Amino acid sequence: MKPARSLGFVARRFAALFRKRRLDKELEGEIFAHMEMAEFDAIAAGLSPEEARRQANQRFGGIQQMKEEHRDQRSVRWMENLSRDLRYGMASLARDPGFAAITIGLLALGIGANTAMFSIVDAVMLKPLPFPEPERMVRVWESTPTGHNGTTTLTFLDWKRQSDIFEALSVENPTSAAVATGGDPARILGKQVSTDYFQVFGVKPQIGRTFAPGEDHPGAAPVVVLSHAFWQTQFAGDPGILNRNLMLDGEPHRIIGVLPAGSFDRDEARFWTPLIFAPDQMNRGQHWLNPIGRLRTGVSIQQARARMTALRASLNDVIFQKDWGFTVDPFAQLLVGDTLRRSIYLASGAVLMVLLIACANVANLALAKGATRRKEMALRTALGASRGRLIVQLLTESLVLCVLGGAAGVMLGALLLGVAVPLLGTSLPFTADLSMDLRVLWFAAAAVMAVLILAGLLPALQTSFGTLSNALNQSPRGSSGSNAAVRRTVVIAEVAASVVLICGAALLFKSLAKLQRVDLGVRIDHVITMSTDLPSAAYPSPASAARFYEAVVQRLKAVPGVEQASVSQGLPLQGVQWGEYLSLPGVKDFFLVRLKLVDPWYFGTLQIPLESGSGILDRDRAGAPPVVVINEEVARQLSNTFGIRNPIGRTVSIDVPGYGPIPESRTKLQVVGVIRSERTAALNAPPELVAYLPLAQAPRQDIKLVVRTQSEPASVMPGIREAMREIDPHLPLGDVMTMEQVKQQSILWARQPTWVLGAFAGVAALMAALGLYGVLAHAVTDQRREIGIRMALGARRGDVVSLTLRSALSMLLVGLAGGLAGAFALTRALKSLLYEVSTLDPAAIALACVLMTLVGLLAALIPASRAAGVDPMTVLREEG
Amino acid sequence: MSEHKTDVPYGTLDLLILKTLDTMGPMHGYRIARRIEQVAENLLQLNQGSIYPALIRLEEQGWIRTRWGISETSRKVKFYSLTRAGAKQLSVEVRNWERATALVAKFLEASGAEVKP
Repeated sequence: MKPARSLGFVARRFAALFRKRRLDKELEGEIFAHMEMAEFDAIAAGLSPEEARRQANQRFGGIQQMKEEHRDQRSVRWMENLSRDLRYGMASLARDPGFAAITIGLLALGIGANTAMFSIVDAVMLKPLPFPEPERMVRVWESTPTGHNGTTTLTFLDWKRQSDIFEALSVENPTSAAVATGGDPARILGKQVSTDYFQVFGVKPQIGRTFAPGEDHPGAAPVVVLSHAFWQTQFAGDPGILNRNLMLDGEPHRIIGVLPAGSFDRDEARFWTPLIFAPDQMNRGQHWLNPIGRLRTGVSIQQARARMTALRASLNDVIFQKDWGFTVDPFAQLLVGDTLRRSIYLASGAVLMVLLIACANVANLALAKGATRRKEMALRTALGASRGRLIVQLLTESLVLCVLGGAAGVMLGALLLGVAVPLLGTSLPFTADLSMDLRVLWFAAAAVMAVLILAGLLPALQTSFGTLSNALNQSPRGSSGSNAAVRRTVVIAEVAASVVLICGAALLFKSLAKLQRVDLGVRIDHVITMSTDLPSAAYPSPASAARFYEAVVQRLKAVPGVEQASVSQGLPLQGVQWGEYLSLPGVKDFFLVRLKLVDPWYFGTLQIPLESGSGILDRDRAGAPPVVVINEEVARQLSNTFGIRNPIGRTVSIDVPGYGPIPESRTKLQVVGVIRSERTAALNAPPELVAYLPLAQAPRQDIKLVVRTQSEPASVMPGIREAMREIDPHLPLGDVMTMEQVKQQSILWARQPTWVLGAFAGVAALMAALGLYGVLAHAVTDQRREIGIRMALGARRGDVVSLTLRSALSMLLVGLAGGLAGAFALTRALKSLLYEVSTLDPAAIALACVLMTLVGLLAALIPASRAAGVDPMTVLREEG
Repeated sequence: MSEHKTDVPYGTLDLLILKTLDTMGPMHGYRIARRIEQVAENLLQLNQGSIYPALIRLEEQGWIRTRWGISETSRKVKFYSLTRAGAKQLSVEVRNWERATALVAKFLEASGAEVKP
């Protein structure tokens, strides 16, 4: 009840400040009525009106003086107090710079991490998309029984005709092109898009125009739109580039416009060209398009869905997948994937816990400091300061600290964000605008206020509490009873919170370690990879591409330091783009396999072992009988579906991809070998069914070079580049990565949250250790006399040390118990991020407990050794 | 006669106001001042105006509350009354006062005894 009343007092004072004018008027009215009544009474007692007025005035005392006194009472003194408190607060901080520095540091860490996290959350999930009327932006899918899928060209064109629903409906197809930039040709990423692509985003070009209808028809003159960033870096922002030609893969494209700076600069794409459907893409078999659209004004998602459902029913005869439907979803919702969302929730929770621990530490520091100031407070109470006044003073001191800590935190947050943005890079959607804007500053201000209440109020109440006699009597000696208990409880809570975080981090690290150890089925050391794209102009036919592959391998093998070289479409771990149905000639059943196109040296370079039969051989070229090598998973599926025990020599049918304008065609292939499965997709996904076709029989333009080197791959790269220049000087090499890098990139989704949580857990553990240290150090100071007496009575140093350590251990153990309970409740949230690790993995949790205990005991060693250093004679003498 | 009047003892005006409101119920400022003067039977030198800062202070402490009412001269004035916290505070202050006077009285008695030969 007492604190509540003091708070009420503070609140009323606040209110009085704002009611000043009204109160003044009210007071004037009261005085007027008072004087009137006094005169009235005096006249009734028989005085003349003049005498009555004189007497009333005299008995009232000076009116003006009274008003002054009253005002002073109300607001002026309040303001004076505030400025005095502020000055006093600064002065007391300056007197104790260590306390101030630690407090500001802790708060800066807590608030900084939270501010940075908030700007990520804000950009990714809270802020509306940076496009006009983002609620009208939708993604249109085919819905499968298990989720979503892209659609086919013909179906997309059917959707696009629903123009009373969609103002614009567009698809994008990632592409890349060689652009000559001074010396070496560089590969620049771009996107092929429908002509109304930019209408979907509501983006107007900064200069020039975007695509006009018809520019995506076959035979239209090639045009290109550039990103603002590309325009700046490549053309120094020259406005005269409009209508000039940009050479993409050696073909001139007329530059018709440049986008404004902003979201599209965060996209990987640097240029956009119209997507022109090739004749072989005009089918309903190849699900390769992911349309995004803008609904017409007034059309709801529900209406759009209803329309798409009706459309689906009318197309039932031509759609192959009878159990698939059409659906429409808000665009914003789908930009943030589940993994990213969960990682962000996780990091937000962890960072909030760090802030709470920082608050707890600051509160504890303030309590410890308060304990030494109790005498001062008690004295001031005795001299007439009200409790409310003292609380206001203490809170003002905390406010000074919090504001300084907050300011430092905002700076730290900006710094953290600067570090995080390049690291997170492609993990965030391109629409996420990460910046320390006004919203973030508001958040920081709110965080400061929350910290003030959390970390400032408890110590203020505790410190202002108590009477003079108690304070004066107790202070030099024993520990300050309830205060110490409160501080121990706070430390226990800190330990518990840290244990929760460490448990989470330990689980994630164990899962990450398991992921790292997953058998890839390929040897990735000393392997370097790069990508290139054969332009249709220079490589118009499958034969020209096949000749290129052979030349590349021959030339690369001659480079010093190169052991083996191969060409393939796609790398391990990066997923396989092509999925086709495999069937047996004359049999109705079929199943889906992934198609990978590789040259004869791919298996050898990556050391993928052959289980039976042969691999892809040099003789498997165009014109030779078409062959296929399958992995174990396909062999197992063949046995399950068709009862084929030994697949070698059997004939299967698969749609083999075409080359350029040549459409795909159903081909009978002879199975010549079975290889052990390589990890083609994510490490945490089960191995896929993969069929390997000879690249020479199904050439592709988008290819990867895989090179095994004898020494460090980087040292061989110059030789490789030189060799490639000899073969085709216009061909740029992109995505140069070692296989190790490819692997690390493929588990980025697991590494990022793990390291983030690990960092936060580390910070939390250090803070808890600091809190523990503070409480113990304070206790040792408090108990010096007791320790001195014990030692005088024969206690050895070891006893004294073990006393302190026991005290530390008791706090740690209670904290561990609490933390474990919390961990059992909370680690469930990690489930989807864990790979083959239970959320209650005993080893990881035990490790977390051991780590926390060790850190805690290390923190306790310093005060313990100080306790052991107490000299009984000195202590007893100084206390007299 | 006026030379026998004493000032309000320091710190007791609050007590006098609280006690007045306790016995008389809600009153406006002028009535409170008059009531204190009447009870003191002209022994007290009270500046009636000093009542108002005290009333505001007590209201800020939450010990009294105000309500608007009509004075004898038909003006809108504030009527003050005791809150529950105020009643409690009154008993605390009464006890403090009694303790203080008892202490002083005892001290005077003791000193008196010592002066005796």
